[in-house]
Amino acid sequence: MIKIGIPRALLYYQYYPMWKTFFEELGAEVVVSPPTTQTVLSEGSSRVVAETCLPTKVFLGHVLSLVKKCDYIFIPAIRSVKSKTYNCSKFLGLPDMTRAVIPELPSILDIDIDVNKGKHVLYQAIYKLGRHFTWNPFRVRRASIAAWQANLNYQQLMCNHSLTPPQAIERILDTPGVEPKTHPDYPIPTQATIAIIGHPYLLYDEHINYRLIHRLKQAQNKVLTPEMLTTEELESATARLVGRAKWTCEEEVVGAGGHYLRSGTDGVIGITAFGCGPDSLMMDIVQRQARTMTTPFMSLTLDEHTAEAGIVTRLEAFLDMIYRKKRKRICV
Amino acid sequence: MRLGMTHMGNIDVAVKAIASKLGIDLVMTLATSQRTLDLGVKYSPETACFPFKLQLGNMIEALELGADTLVMPGDLGPCRMGYYHKVLEQILRELGYKFQMVTQTRGIMHMVKYLTNGASLGKVIAGFRFGLAKLKTLEELEGVVHKIRAVERDKGEANRIYREGIKAIDNAPDYRAIRQAKREYLQRLMSLPAITSPAPLKVGITGEFFVVIDPFTNMDIEIELGKLGVEVRCHISISEWVRLNPFVYVLGLREKDKSHKAAMPYLSHHVGGDGWQSVGERILHAGDWDGIVHLEPFGCLPEIMARNIMPSIKEGPPVLNIIYDEHTGKAGMITRLEAFVDMLHRKKRRQEAVCV
Repeated sequence: MIKIGIPRALLYYQYYPMWKTFFEELGAEVVVSPPTTQTVLSEGSSRVVAETCLPTKVFLGHVLSLVKKCDYIFIPAIRSVKSKTYNCSKFLGLPDMTRAVIPELPSILDIDIDVNKGKHVLYQAIYKLGRHFTWNPFRVRRASIAAWQANLNYQQLMCNHSLTPPQAIERILDTPGVEPKTHPDYPIPTQATIAIIGHPYLLYDEHINYRLIHRLKQAQNKVLTPEMLTTEELESATARLVGRAKWTCEEEVVGAGGHYLRSGTDGVIGITAFGCGPDSLMMDIVQRQARTMTTPFMSLTLDEHTAEAGIVTRLEAFLDMIYRKKRKRICV
Repeated sequence: MRLGMTHMGNIDVAVKAIASKLGIDLVMTLATSQRTLDLGVKYSPETACFPFKLQLGNMIEALELGADTLVMPGDLGPCRMGYYHKVLEQILRELGYKFQMVTQTRGIMHMVKYLTNGASLGKVIAGFRFGLAKLKTLEELEGVVHKIRAVERDKGEANRIYREGIKAIDNAPDYRAIRQAKREYLQRLMSLPAITSPAPLKVGITGEFFVVIDPFTNMDIEIELGKLGVEVRCHISISEWVRLNPFVYVLGLREKDKSHKAAMPYLSHHVGGDGWQSVGERILHAGDWDGIVHLEPFGCLPEIMARNIMPSIKEGPPVLNIIYDEHTGKAGMITRLEAFVDMLHRKKRRQEAVCV
């Protein structure tokens, strides 16, 4: 059986159920790299120039950890998933860059997803990917329909049950062994409602954000994430702030930020990676909005030098401020 | 409507020419200065790229002088620049300026019509042709200056003449005057006393468009290389960016298209900005350039991709990478250039020794 490696980084959190279904329908076995560790991160960082952003370094670390464990590594180049939106350069050149910096790599399965070029090109790209496994176009078609269905179910699950992607993946696949171990039940949230905005690969990689969500929940806070919003909510909030979205990932930052700032959450935390191009401007827009709305907003920038103590201190200060604000309101 | 001008290399000459032909009221701002940069840095998001900060500084200076219309291209592929206009507009509005931000997101013709007050298409094209003619002449002159600077006997002469040339072409009222100025200054440049041997090193400049074009941003890197006796080659220019002749695009005659083709085995797709071209130029000019200086603003996404991919190219000249932001010091740049040029000299001498 052909073994396909999928790195647990970048778009994994958005599309893993879809990819897994697709490859398994075509009779391949899917191997996911283990959760991020310090070794993964430092091995990834050692391959690229210093200014490359943290998620890309993590991604390369995961690819390196898969090198001898599979026959192919799946690295898609997702250019655009909506008409007239663009993705960040790192995603566009991901297969080429990985090939250039990791020469010892097994073959790469790459696929160009660009809906701007029309449906026909998209279908052809999917078929070309399927050709690695079967010559039969109907089997590829069946697999892609199943994959799409899996993706819709996944999104539905996150939205309806307010789950984070790792929780949803765990529930869908029912393979707790593969996932990072779940934390014990959290205390009932009584303190405040905190929304976290940012890209999924920053929010749910517990190593690089030092278990931020876990910390918030343990402090008896309710945590909201961009995945818990419907597409319509995200789109309308984006349209209100900046008009039509330009980036593929704009809605999870500007859309979610815009929505949560208005919907009465007690505070919003924006997470960016140092040197992230799209975020440097998008987070600024959210920050400006927060200033006019007077909702507390904290922006956390992550890179490989981020220290746990620093994150904890800032988080504590932010939460203290929110609690004080709430208490004052109750007294008045 | 008073249009505020932002600066980028010699583009002001072209903009002035077009504005005068089409009757646009242009607010003349001074060239980019330290004050522009300081203003830009003060109000920009911290990690926005360097060109953003300069654009913001330029726009603030234009608005201070009474401009009420600003132009910023939007939606230009997967580079941050396509997002600039949204953030710039919010920042400037928060600062309390009243203005209209014009972008080409609703179609380029829509923008041109708005700016020119509905002038006829023929007039618009004629205006653009005149502006481009000036720009092209300047670029031709610049190409010659690049060569002369390396070999001139009295350092700085070529530069002085080039600056006079820019002024003369800027003041030229019609095509004839442009041609005349070009002839005159080319002749003056050619007649400068030169040192003929040894043959100068040829170093190509490539990288992010804005940094390569704008001498304030790249701290006159071309002049500094000239002082070190290096002949500069540069294929990135504004006039190549806007060609009116459609055949150039269709047949792929631009340097851009050629370098994209050369980069194919290493980078098969556009990654936004000029990343693809930077990779391609290293392969394309493996034979005729002795070295490459690769310029980028700090945090430029496409150029980081290019820089990750470049080392995997087996052939190709050595590359010196220089990153610019508001903290870059000129002395640091010059030291690095000197070391790089020394290395190239040594490499060339060794190659020649082997050949003999």
